[in-house]
Amino acid sequence: MSPLSLIRHRDRLLQALVLVGLVSVWELSSRAGWVHPFLLPPPSDVLARLFADMQSGAVFVDLGLTLYRAVTGFVIAAVLAVPLGILMARRRGVQWFFDPLISIGFPMPKIAFVPIFILWFDIYDTSKVIMITFSCFFPIVTATYSGTSHIDKWPLWSARSLGASESELLREIILPLASPAILTGLQIALPVGMITTIVTEMLMGGSGVGGAMIAAGRFADSVGVFAGIIEIAILGMVVIRALDWLRARLLVWHPENRAH
Amino acid sequence: MTADFGIKIEGVSHAYPGTQGLNAAGTLALKQTDLLIRHHEFHALLGPSGCGKSTLLYLIGGFIPVQTGSISTQKGPVTAPGPDRSIVFQNFALFPWKTVLENVMYGLQKKGLPEAECRDIAQAHIKLVQLSGFEQAYPSQLSGGMQQRAAIARTLAVDPDILLMDEPFGALDAQTRRVMQEELRMIWKRRPKTVVFVTHDVHEAVFLADRISIMSARPGRIEHQIDTGLGPERDESTLTDRRFVELGEQIWRLVREQAVLASRGGL
Repeated sequence: MSPLSLIRHRDRLLQALVLVGLVSVWELSSRAGWVHPFLLPPPSDVLARLFADMQSGAVFVDLGLTLYRAVTGFVIAAVLAVPLGILMARRRGVQWFFDPLISIGFPMPKIAFVPIFILWFDIYDTSKVIMITFSCFFPIVTATYSGTSHIDKWPLWSARSLGASESELLREIILPLASPAILTGLQIALPVGMITTIVTEMLMGGSGVGGAMIAAGRFADSVGVFAGIIEIAILGMVVIRALDWLRARLLVWHPENRAH
Repeated sequence: MTADFGIKIEGVSHAYPGTQGLNAAGTLALKQTDLLIRHHEFHALLGPSGCGKSTLLYLIGGFIPVQTGSISTQKGPVTAPGPDRSIVFQNFALFPWKTVLENVMYGLQKKGLPEAECRDIAQAHIKLVQLSGFEQAYPSQLSGGMQQRAAIARTLAVDPDILLMDEPFGALDAQTRRVMQEELRMIWKRRPKTVVFVTHDVHEAVFLADRISIMSARPGRIEHQIDTGLGPERDESTLTDRRFVELGEQIWRLVREQAVLASRGGL
C-alpha cells in the first residue's frame, strides 16, 4: 500500500469513528435520560424498528412507492425539459415564447402549488407525480438552456463542413456537447425531486415514506418518525450516487474524469 | 481558363452588425474584395490581425452568408457549408466525446459510406498524419499538435476539393509548428487540393504557399499578390534558400505597412 493511500485509508477510518462517536453519544444521552427518549429515541430502538419493518415488508412498500413517484416525476421532467432547453437555445421563436415563463417559474417556490394540484388532480399518485415533475422541470430546463447557449461555434461549424444537416447537428453534436451542463441540471433537480416527493406524501397522505412518517407522528410514534428519516437518508444517498455513477459513465471522454 | 479556377471571389464586402453606443454603425470587415484562387493552388492569406482574412475564409466556407458580391467554386455559388470545402480551425474543434477514430469517421459516415469503408479510410488518414496507435484516444488525452493532426485527418478524410485552414498552427509551439508545416506541404503534394491558408506569420506563408495574398488593414482588401516561385519541394533547405529569405523580408515590409496603418486607424 502506497503512503498516500495509507493516509487516505486512515482518514476514512477516522471519519467513520467520528460518525460512530456521535451516534454513541446520541444513544447514551437517550439511554441515560439526559434527553427524553420520546423526543430523541435511542438509535438502537430506531434500528430495531427498521429491522422489524423490513421483516414485515412495510419498509419496502413505502420505499418502493416513494422511489417510484420520485423517479417517474423526475424522468418526465427530464424528457420534457432537456429538448425544450436545447430548442430554446437554438430557435429564436421558442426562446422568445418560453423565456418569460421560465424566468417567472424558476425562482417560484413550486411546493406552494400543492393545494392547486390537489384541487385539480386529487391527492393520489397523479398529483404527486405532477408536483414532482413541476419542481424538477425548472432546474433542468434552465441548465440545459444555459449549457446549450454557451456551446462554441467551432465544433458546430466543423460538423456542418463535414456534411451534417441542421437536425443531425442538434442530435449528434449539440446534445453531447451540452451533456455536462444537462447532467449538472439533472443533479440539481434530483434532490429537489426527492424533497418534493416526501413533502407531497406528507401533505397528501397515503403510503410512501413521507405518508408513513406523518402517520407515525400522528400516533406519537417518534421511533417511527426517526425510522422514516433514516429510510429517506438511505434512499436519497442511493439515487444521488446512481446519478453520479451515470455521469461518470456518460462523460468518460470529459477531462473531469481524468483527474484521478 | 474559366474551368481552371479554384475559388472566384468578386466584389465581396462584409459588415458585422454594430452594437449600441460606440460602434452603432457596425464594422466593415471586407470592402470590395476580388480574388481568384487557382485550381489546386496552395494560397496563403496574410495580413495584420483584424484585417478580415478569417472573415473571407468563413465566407468561402459558407459559415457566414455573403452580403454583397459573390463567391463561387467549381460547384457553383457558395450558399452554405459543405463537405466540398472542409475546414481546419486554430483551436482544432474536434468532437471531444468521440475518439480520434470516431472523429475522423464522422464526415465519412455523413457521406453515407458503409461502416467498414469509413473505418478503412479513417485508418488510412490517421496513418497519414502519423497518429497510428491513438485511434481510441479521446482528444483531451492528446497534446495540441496531436489534436491538430487528428483535425487535419478528419478534414482530409472527406476528400474536399477545397481545404480551408484558419491559422491551424497558431496554437502550437514553434517546434511542433515547423514539423506540421513540413508535413502539411508533403501531404498536399501527395494529394493536391486547392488550399486557402490564413495566417499572420510571414515565414509560414512563404514556406507553405505557391501564392500569397496580402490583405490591407480594415476594411480588408487584397493589397498585393505574390508568387513565391519556390517550387514544389519545401524542406529544411528552403529556409536558407536566398529567395525564401528575400521574399520573407519583402513581404514582411508589405505586411508591416498594413499593420502600422491598422494600429493608427480605428483602434
